[in-house]
Amino acid sequence: MNTVAPSGQAGALYWPVQLRRNVGVRSLFAVVMAFLVAYGFLFPGLLTASGFAKFTQSWFPLALVAMAQAILMLTGGISLAIGAMVSLGAVIAATTMTGPLGIAGGAAAVALTGVGIGAATGFIVVKLRLPAIVVTLAGSFIIGGAALLILPRPGGAIPEWLSDLLAGNTPAAFVLLMLIVLLWKLYLATPLGLSLYAAGENPVGAYRSGVPVDGARIAAYAISGLLCTGAGLFVAAQTGSGDPVIGTAFTLNSIAAAVLGGIGFLGGQGTMRGALAGSLLLSLMISVMFFLGFTPVAQYVAQGLIIIGAVATPQFRKVQQ
Amino acid sequence: MTAWKESAGGRRALTILRSRPFLTVAIVAAVWIVASFVSRGFGAYGHLRYLVELAAVIGLVAAGQTFVVIAGGIDLSVAAIVTVSAVSLPLLSWQGDPTGLTAVLAVLALTTTIGLVNGLGVALLRVHPMIMTLAMATFLQGLLIIIAGGSAVTAENPLVRWLGNARPAGIPAGVLLWVAVSVIVLAAMHATSFGARLFAMGANPLAAALSGVPVTSTTLAVYGISGFNSGLAGVLVLGMNGQGYVGIGDPYLLASIAAVVLGGTSILGGLGTYAGTIPGAILLVTITALITVVNASPGWRSILFGSLILGLLLLSGREQARR
Repeated sequence: MNTVAPSGQAGALYWPVQLRRNVGVRSLFAVVMAFLVAYGFLFPGLLTASGFAKFTQSWFPLALVAMAQAILMLTGGISLAIGAMVSLGAVIAATTMTGPLGIAGGAAAVALTGVGIGAATGFIVVKLRLPAIVVTLAGSFIIGGAALLILPRPGGAIPEWLSDLLAGNTPAAFVLLMLIVLLWKLYLATPLGLSLYAAGENPVGAYRSGVPVDGARIAAYAISGLLCTGAGLFVAAQTGSGDPVIGTAFTLNSIAAAVLGGIGFLGGQGTMRGALAGSLLLSLMISVMFFLGFTPVAQYVAQGLIIIGAVATPQFRKVQQ
Repeated sequence: MTAWKESAGGRRALTILRSRPFLTVAIVAAVWIVASFVSRGFGAYGHLRYLVELAAVIGLVAAGQTFVVIAGGIDLSVAAIVTVSAVSLPLLSWQGDPTGLTAVLAVLALTTTIGLVNGLGVALLRVHPMIMTLAMATFLQGLLIIIAGGSAVTAENPLVRWLGNARPAGIPAGVLLWVAVSVIVLAAMHATSFGARLFAMGANPLAAALSGVPVTSTTLAVYGISGFNSGLAGVLVLGMNGQGYVGIGDPYLLASIAAVVLGGTSILGGLGTYAGTIPGAILLVTITALITVVNASPGWRSILFGSLILGLLLLSGREQARR
């Protein structure tokens, strides 16, 4: 009789399904908690309002680029232009917001550039069938060059009250992040969002089942571009000015965070909560090493070792079983 | 009129004409001819020789990259390995080594070992090649700053200096080295069972493993070769520059991947040849030289470079359509 589950039962399935999706990242959550406790111990100010604000502000841009990379990797793509996009967002924000466009106009310019370049990249990769890794590598030169044209050397300005709002003693970064996560949940419920995993897991099968594979992938590139330039705007607000090469380190860190968070390279594997936890872990690692007095050089070495260790451990366990 | 197309020789000629390496050679020739008409001095023998000399470094790095890419991986640590080679070689020179040969061999052994560690991570720990080699690059970057401390080191090694400056019979020694490496690489890729295993592994790793290809040792060998070639490129770049410093290898990461892809090798693995990478490397250097001639600001130069690679990619790098 009951071949089709009534909507009430389908709703009841939601939480068990979500719990099962946590299985792969449970150990990661544990490690993140351990690092959070260690961080709170080293830096007791974390529990005060300003300490919490500063901590979420250092995490926020990394969380955005990790999401940007994770969306692409879920569809089977990748971007090596993340850092250049962040730089471009930062210089556009720093040059437009104090000009005639004003803050709203500047923010709109940043967002439109991100969506536009992202969609163009997606179009080239998907419709012209070029390998994403090489297209975005070439794209990083074009985008980085554009950032240099807009602002050849560090400069520009962000209105002071905006810097205070985003990067002052307010939990604005945390609130924004929660808002973005909520929007992501909503996006996953739309037809394009639903197609995301299918397009990454098995593009041919999804295509034959009528899933808009190309549309889902191009949309993923556009959203990814928006997140990157948004991160650039935030970084510009943090520093109060623009810098055409400020985003460079984000390319590697975005991939590292997504992979730490259990996102697979082949598409369709992993969850956004994992990528966010991965970015939090990376951000915590950098902060903890800073407080322990590691030199930046030793941080590089430790970061390389930790990333390999984190990625290799699950495989190691699988081999032993 | 179409009779020659039917003959065996004609068919072979057509295959060559339609092949990707030939297309890349044709593009290089066309660019050189047009550029020498537009810009005086571009087509001079000395200038073209200089271009090929610069291309030799990219060609060496890209030789290892071609092996890795055909086998279905990617090596993002080549730039760091070039730097390791160029920075550690001056530090390894000692008095009882008049030719400098032992120092060069020691450096090559070191870079090959780094490559083998990459291979171990990929083959045994099953870390994705991109992560393994990126993490290795991050690790080496930290290590290099500890070793070199950010200052440039001058090479006193006679062999290295000879490699960078000598011109036996008017041909730069670096180009001769590149020719020798190219012959060995092409032979290993297309005339040995190792080469056949490489293509099998890149096309379908599971099928290759089930058919008896020793996946672990082949992967190790591939990354080892890439480390060795990057080390060789570092030695050459040190000889041409006279000084090694942290960051000297940075341009060669993108260049090696671009040369491989422009040469028609599929970034997805299992398809391609080093014969395409060679003109690909020369094409890249030519593009860079032309952009320098245009005398644009750094921003425009970067945009031009990226756009040209993207444009050339349209000619070569298409993936197959979904059926």
